[in-house]
Amino acid sequence: MSGSGTTVVTPESLLAAADRLLASPVPGAGAQWPRACALLIRLALEMTLDRFWGRVLPVAAECGMRQQLLLLPLYTVDLPATAGLAREAWLGLAGAAHHHAYELAPTAAELRTWHSEVTQLATLLLA
Amino acid sequence: MGEREGSVAKIVSEKLGDDKVPEEVASLILDAMRRCAPEVGAGEGGQAAGPKRVYLKSISVEGFRGIGPKATLHLAPGPGLTVVTGRNGSGKSSFAEAAELALTGENKRWADRSSVWKEGWRNLHEPDPAAIAVQLTEDGEAGITTVTSDWALGAALESANDTVWVGGTERSLTEKGWAKPLELYRPFLSYAELGALVSGKPTSMHDAMQAILGLDLFTDMEKTLTEERRSAEADMKAAKNELPALLAKLAAHPDERARLAEKAIGERPQDLAALDALIVGEDVAGEGPTGLFRQVITVTLPATEDMAAAVDRLAAARAAVAALAGTRAADARRLARLLTAALEHQRSHVGEPCPVCGARLLDEAWAASAKSSIAELTAQATDADAAFAEERAAVGALARLVPPKPSALAADLGPELDPAAASTGWDRWVSEIAAMTSAAPLPAGDAASSRVSEVMAAFEALSGAVTELRSSAEKVLQDRAAAWQPLARDLALWSELARNGEHASVLANELRKAIEWLRATGKEVRNARLAPFARTSAEVWEMLRQESNVELGPITLAGAGPQRKVTLDVTIDGVPGAALSVMSQGELHALGLALFLPRATAADSPFGFVIIDDPVQAMDPAKVDGLARVLSSVARTRQVVVFTHDDRLPAALRQLQLSATVLAVTRHERSVVTVRAVSSPVKRYLDDARALAKTESLPEGVRAVAVAGLCRGAIEAACVDVVRSRDLARGISHAAVEESLDRALHSLQDIVALAMFGSAARAGDVPSGLKALGGPSCANAFWDAKRGVHDPNHGDLRRFIDDTELLTKALRR
Repeated sequence: MSGSGTTVVTPESLLAAADRLLASPVPGAGAQWPRACALLIRLALEMTLDRFWGRVLPVAAECGMRQQLLLLPLYTVDLPATAGLAREAWLGLAGAAHHHAYELAPTAAELRTWHSEVTQLATLLLA
Repeated sequence: MGEREGSVAKIVSEKLGDDKVPEEVASLILDAMRRCAPEVGAGEGGQAAGPKRVYLKSISVEGFRGIGPKATLHLAPGPGLTVVTGRNGSGKSSFAEAAELALTGENKRWADRSSVWKEGWRNLHEPDPAAIAVQLTEDGEAGITTVTSDWALGAALESANDTVWVGGTERSLTEKGWAKPLELYRPFLSYAELGALVSGKPTSMHDAMQAILGLDLFTDMEKTLTEERRSAEADMKAAKNELPALLAKLAAHPDERARLAEKAIGERPQDLAALDALIVGEDVAGEGPTGLFRQVITVTLPATEDMAAAVDRLAAARAAVAALAGTRAADARRLARLLTAALEHQRSHVGEPCPVCGARLLDEAWAASAKSSIAELTAQATDADAAFAEERAAVGALARLVPPKPSALAADLGPELDPAAASTGWDRWVSEIAAMTSAAPLPAGDAASSRVSEVMAAFEALSGAVTELRSSAEKVLQDRAAAWQPLARDLALWSELARNGEHASVLANELRKAIEWLRATGKEVRNARLAPFARTSAEVWEMLRQESNVELGPITLAGAGPQRKVTLDVTIDGVPGAALSVMSQGELHALGLALFLPRATAADSPFGFVIIDDPVQAMDPAKVDGLARVLSSVARTRQVVVFTHDDRLPAALRQLQLSATVLAVTRHERSVVTVRAVSSPVKRYLDDARALAKTESLPEGVRAVAVAGLCRGAIEAACVDVVRSRDLARGISHAAVEESLDRALHSLQDIVALAMFGSAARAGDVPSGLKALGGPSCANAFWDAKRGVHDPNHGDLRRFIDDTELLTKALRR
């Protein structure tokens, strides 16, 4: 999706990059690839929410994730699944993208789950 | 349970007919059923409404394990999730263990431990008094039920003083009828047990599942039949086991009956009738030495005086014949007839000379002498006849005294008995008699009398020899009988065993068929009943597995007897049959939980609660949110109390906005344990509301709408707590409480009315009631929350939230 010519970052391009990272090792990513992958998915989630707020309540994008997650159900009454999806994905991604010395890197299966949650969320919110 | 057992009994009876099970086998099965479930068929009823649910209201602990002075864990009775957090050693597990101990009288974590564990149960700092009190509410029962255990100073863990108080009356735990369900559904799961559920003894898991499925009747029946079969098989083997010893005894025994017994035993089938004849001591067909010995004993000789009389009679008859000395009876008779004729002649010719010789005159003198001669001659002839007749009679009489020679005298009687003397004696006796009775010329005088004494001497000799032989034969027989007696007893015992064995082998075969049939039928019924449990387990696993490549397929109860187990169809990366050993500890724990939950929350269980101690410990961080989801889904219908030592589970619950009450247990010095509410649904709504209210960047309208929604959520949560706690304790059934909550939750005013007045119908009284309850600020909070999203209050949001907090507190007071 993110062709060599374009530099526009979209949730889709971030998710595609994460997908490539998940599918096969990328030279240079080394042992840090799961965290890198988690970070990409997390950025995709944040960007999805930003874009969504851009349409309905621009100031919300400036708030913390806690507030965004609290507000989301109020603005997605017709899409009741989205608030739950966002919460679940965030629960995993918030921790995984940080480098806690004692915390293990996420596994491929976890990353795959979050990836599909965020993909679904983007489809629903940005349709 | 009664109903389910009844239905198992019905299934068994019906299937016995359908399957055309042979009469004997069917009667064994029915007999086992009668013994295992005597009450079946008594028509138990009254269970149709489902069991009454029991919920925990509080757990108070004093002087037990990590808890010193009395500490109480308050719980909201009714469905919902409570997470009790505390550092390791804070005393939180002591609450879980105390509740389990008070209700079940044991604790799985300690059950199989050494005595060190059991001795260290008293609190180190406050060992006395030691007491546990568990308060419960019972569905449909007014008042609180309190189960207490307390210990006298120095009493052992096992010697607790247990009481149950229902309201003000003391009842016993047995009366409550919880013992069996506690064992069946075990609403307690400790960390130690979590792993054991999967890796523990396979048979116990099998039996537990079987019991929950209402199939313990099958297990019990199979157990009964198997015991019977075992004893039948032991009976079958008893004769065989005893045989070598018996054969050794027989082989060592000289008696020919031992040989016969060996033959009877050696035959196929064994000739037990022949054996019995030997035991009674009768000879088989009179053959062999014993039979001959018996013949010897029965040898009889004429009495000596009879013998002597017969011999004397013959001797006398012989003497009489000899005395006739040549007289021939016929001559005398002929002469007498001649003289009689001459006498007649003389009567008409008196005085004439003799017509034969012509010399002598036949005068009267002649006639007189002729007459006397005739008389003499006639007498002579008669005497001679008599003497000969007597001789013949005497010979016959003597001959009749001699019996045929017994064959035993000529037989080989073995080393113990020599019949030779008697035999030759017999022969001599017989030959002496023959000599005497033969028609040989008679010896005269002394010779005759010596013959008599020879015959008698031969008889005396024979008589002596026979008496001797007979008494030695009797002695031999007595000795043999004495020697045979113990062996005969052994044979009798063995024959009894052999007969029992024959009977037992028929029985064992029927029992085998009965067990086979029962197993097959049990399997059918069981797998049908297991399906819903297995589904729940699979669902739980599905939620817990997360990234695990372990797949849980159908769960079945497999095997029989000591091989019975719960089979988990586990596939790893799609490879079936992969061993559980490949799974990680965390996966095993998750699997354990997947097996525990369907059992602990079975529809028939009277326990509305489950207590789970530290399920997170070995769990993958990623599985914790799966666990959070599992627990809150169970908490929709059950009171779930989870003890955990870290923050991962509360964090996951918070993050996923899953409703839960979080309590923190902290332990101060000297085992002073306190419980503090960290978070509850109400508190979380209020916290979230405050966080939003503070977010100045958001437009006021948005904040107002969101805060109103969250405040409304806080009030509703407080109302649900109040209604459940109060109505369940009042004895209203759980189902009825949930139904009224469901209805009232459509309107804030209704739910508040239900909480305040116990009836949604009194919604109109809510505003004034609130004012009376907590002043105008409470009423304001209610109105602001009620207008909520549609007409938000644009005033002071912080004050609104504070007022809401006041309102929730006032409601819960």
